[in-house]
Amino acid sequence: MITTRGLYLGFTLSLLLALIFSLLELPDLLAAARPMWVPLMLAYWALREPRLSALFPAFMLGIALDVMFATPLGQHAMGLVILVYLVERLRGIFILFPLWQATFALIPAWALYSFLMFWIDGASQHQAFSWLRWLPVVSTTLFWPLLFSVMELMHQQLDDE
Amino acid sequence: MNTLPETYRRPLFPRGPGLGLKTILLIVVSLVLIFNDTRGPGLQPVRSALSVVLSPLIWLASMPSDMLNAAGDIATRETLERENRELKESQLLLEARLQKFQALEAENRRIRELLASAARIDDEVLIAEIIAINQDPYRSQITLNKGERDGVYAGQALVDAHGVLGQITRVGRTRSQALLIIDPDHGIPVEINRTGMQTIAVGGGTERGLRLPFLASNADIQVGDLLVSSSLGGRFPAGYPVGTVYDVRHVAGEHFMEAYASPAAHMNQGRQALLVWSENQRSSDGNVEVDDKPAETDPDAETPAAAGTAP
Repeated sequence: MITTRGLYLGFTLSLLLALIFSLLELPDLLAAARPMWVPLMLAYWALREPRLSALFPAFMLGIALDVMFATPLGQHAMGLVILVYLVERLRGIFILFPLWQATFALIPAWALYSFLMFWIDGASQHQAFSWLRWLPVVSTTLFWPLLFSVMELMHQQLDDE
Repeated sequence: MNTLPETYRRPLFPRGPGLGLKTILLIVVSLVLIFNDTRGPGLQPVRSALSVVLSPLIWLASMPSDMLNAAGDIATRETLERENRELKESQLLLEARLQKFQALEAENRRIRELLASAARIDDEVLIAEIIAINQDPYRSQITLNKGERDGVYAGQALVDAHGVLGQITRVGRTRSQALLIIDPDHGIPVEINRTGMQTIAVGGGTERGLRLPFLASNADIQVGDLLVSSSLGGRFPAGYPVGTVYDVRHVAGEHFMEAYASPAAHMNQGRQALLVWSENQRSSDGNVEVDDKPAETDPDAETPAAAGTAP
């Protein structure tokens, strides 16, 4: 009983933290390379926790991101829902990989998410193409092992309780 | 295929619709939202309600930089003295310049009276504080701490000490959002100060500044030309500096040439901006709100000039 409550608490808190991280003010150069915190955190939970479905939370978080970044409502929501679906669907495969292989295996997921954002921007006539748009894919990949290890530590403590 | 997760999940939590069905449902909802939000203002109330709900998070996220700023405000006596000296010097300089301007303004007014034109010279302004900057690097938007309560209206021009900064796009009760002139969605009618040629400057993103597309191939434009705002379209007050041309490009085989300009205003640097009431907005003081309704109901159409030239 307590573990379930702890689990939901951890889930909510970690996602709120990811949301705050993606809003922190950074210098211009660093901001272009900001890892995609919300997709990272959602992918972790979708991969690691079969007890809860991250699909609907992904949609809500996406709407929150859309409001904060003044993008068309639904843009981030759609990207996140698709990302979570893919990761949950392929969980069986991903969970067998060691961490470093999973890091590489997730690159297409980040690239797909970035592409969706770029595509919807284009479709809603917000033309801002620049190669820098793909930089977050690299930084997100680099941050995955770190996030996974830290979250794994917390996860174990939750389960021990 | 690994079936381990499926086997121990099903007995614990018997679920309703499957994962795929839920995903498709949510994607359809998102698509409907995107479609509605890009086509019309229908979702504006939802957005403003949500932004009120999310404001604690935004406040939390801005805490570290606020703290850094506060630390930077702690000044020693010497820096204060130096700053005071510098400010006094610059004030003297500006006052001297202002005397000349006053004479010029008076002269201008007399000449305008001769022409029987009613144009006003000094615009009304209000200082607003920039309270947030959009953290998406591909959108140049800022949030200001003045809103409907202070008479701010959608489409209002925004300047800083050096030139035109942008225009207001969304107005809330006590805060408003502005689009900067370097945003790719933004277009501003400009006049080349040296020749008086009218054209349009479209935002080119942070790295390129402003873009002047579709110039006639024999247009008289040079590197170093100053662009000032023009009152064509009635949105911006005339005569504020907009940018300086830094590159003029002839594309081989094209009928048009393109110029690039760096914005005069200091983008993403100051913490204050000036809201300017342009002439035709204040002349109808009482029904400012009514005048703005069309502009406000269609946030995509606030740069008619840009819409006209978009390729």
